[in-house]
Amino acid sequence: MRIFILVNLWAIALLMGARSAAAATDNTDSTYRLGSGYTVGETGLSIGGYANTELDVPRSTPWNFTLSDLSLFMTWDNGSRLHFFSELEAGDVLNVGNHQSLGAQNAHFEFERFYLDSLVNNNLTVRLGKFLTPIGEWNLIHAAPLVWTTSRPVVTENLFSPHASGLMLHGSVPVVSRQLEYSVFADLTESIDPYRSSNPFQNALGAHLRYFFSDTLQIGASVADYTLSDLQSAQIGSSFTHIALSNLQSSRYYLVGLNLAWSYKKFELSSEFVYRTSDHAAIASTLQGFVQGVVPISQRWFMVGRYEYFEQQLNKAGQVGLLGLAYRPLPPIVWKLEYRRGEHNELLAPDGLSASFSILF
Amino acid sequence: MTMRIAYALLVVILFAGFPTHAAEPLAVITAVTNPLDTLSLDALKLIYLRKSQMDTESNRWIPLNLPVADPLRRGFSLALFSILPEEQDDYWNVQYFNGISPPKVMASEEAILRFVASTTGSIGYVRKQSVDSRVKVLLLITPPTAK
Repeated sequence: MRIFILVNLWAIALLMGARSAAAATDNTDSTYRLGSGYTVGETGLSIGGYANTELDVPRSTPWNFTLSDLSLFMTWDNGSRLHFFSELEAGDVLNVGNHQSLGAQNAHFEFERFYLDSLVNNNLTVRLGKFLTPIGEWNLIHAAPLVWTTSRPVVTENLFSPHASGLMLHGSVPVVSRQLEYSVFADLTESIDPYRSSNPFQNALGAHLRYFFSDTLQIGASVADYTLSDLQSAQIGSSFTHIALSNLQSSRYYLVGLNLAWSYKKFELSSEFVYRTSDHAAIASTLQGFVQGVVPISQRWFMVGRYEYFEQQLNKAGQVGLLGLAYRPLPPIVWKLEYRRGEHNELLAPDGLSASFSILF
Repeated sequence: MTMRIAYALLVVILFAGFPTHAAEPLAVITAVTNPLDTLSLDALKLIYLRKSQMDTESNRWIPLNLPVADPLRRGFSLALFSILPEEQDDYWNVQYFNGISPPKVMASEEAILRFVASTTGSIGYVRKQSVDSRVKVLLLITPPTAK
């Protein structure tokens, strides 16, 4: 536990320094502000990122504490039609657990995102590079300081690759006086990304639409047609499954999804469902999804509840309920505590307690 | 006599709770060289959310804000989004994650006037009475009384 205390002391020191900097000035973009990064003069270059520390205490396996994410954003936007963005992530930087002494043996680095946007006109931008797969909403904002729970809903990463590398056309158009946002992507990870993230696409085509019915309600829909490179992590994560499914790697998947987000004051309701089928008779069609609600209990404290349903290849359909608390002393900082319990959920979302501290810096 | 004093006090208390006059109009301004002459409130909203990136001449919009505590900024935010600037923090956190910065913050109305006058694509707001020949007014908005 000492390392937990040390990491959090470091975070508090960082926070106090940043708070005083933020309080001191709000009138130039070259000063550092917590949650906004640092802009380097008039160069158009900005640097920032986020960090997340996580403590997991599953009911049937040993506890584990990790500095799970340390991400560095680099943005370049000098006011021209081009806009560059990259996110370099150090994952599992430090680990300590019941049967594991403190170490960095699981640490790994990767570019989570690395792309160039070219603004064609007000309704169309062309993106080239590696980006987050536009399926649902959670995957697009999955950073720990932006979401309400330490654990990620199964549906947001289990059935498709969270990253895509290739080309994306995105933008928005007015429809009935409201904005319709669209993204259409073609993935060629196998050919152009030598440092593939876990569970990568081999190739994919997909699209996501999001319509703003009002300032507080948005509904989205996703479609994708793809092949996965790595069925091990895509399916269950067990070696048994890997062997059983390794001959199905060329299977093509077809996915449709729906997502909804509603907010009023500080109340929130969100939901995502995905249905995936394949051209291989041995791979059953799969439905997964969640419904999540957030209720403010004071200015800075929030209660979170979530229900998840996920069909699996080699097990009965899993269900999980989650109850959590989140404390946001400042918008870029969040402390979370949650308990998760369910059935047929041992592999994808095991019962147990999780806590985390995350910060956008 | 006592009744009169009580009545006068009641009137004072009641009027203290309500604005006695509308807030001063804000002028949304751009450079005089910008071919645009008017702008709708919805279009302005998209520009300040950084969702609309280009003007009709394909110049990048550069929206400008005053500091968060400035009453004009607070009134502008209420008029445009019906919320105060600090209530947009969650939105800007998500945009930050996607590499999109919020509007540039300028120190004063004069700083906005100078920047707008000299920078193509920039757009800002000042009090109507502060507008001069260096800039062009696209829209007048009357902010509700700041919270």
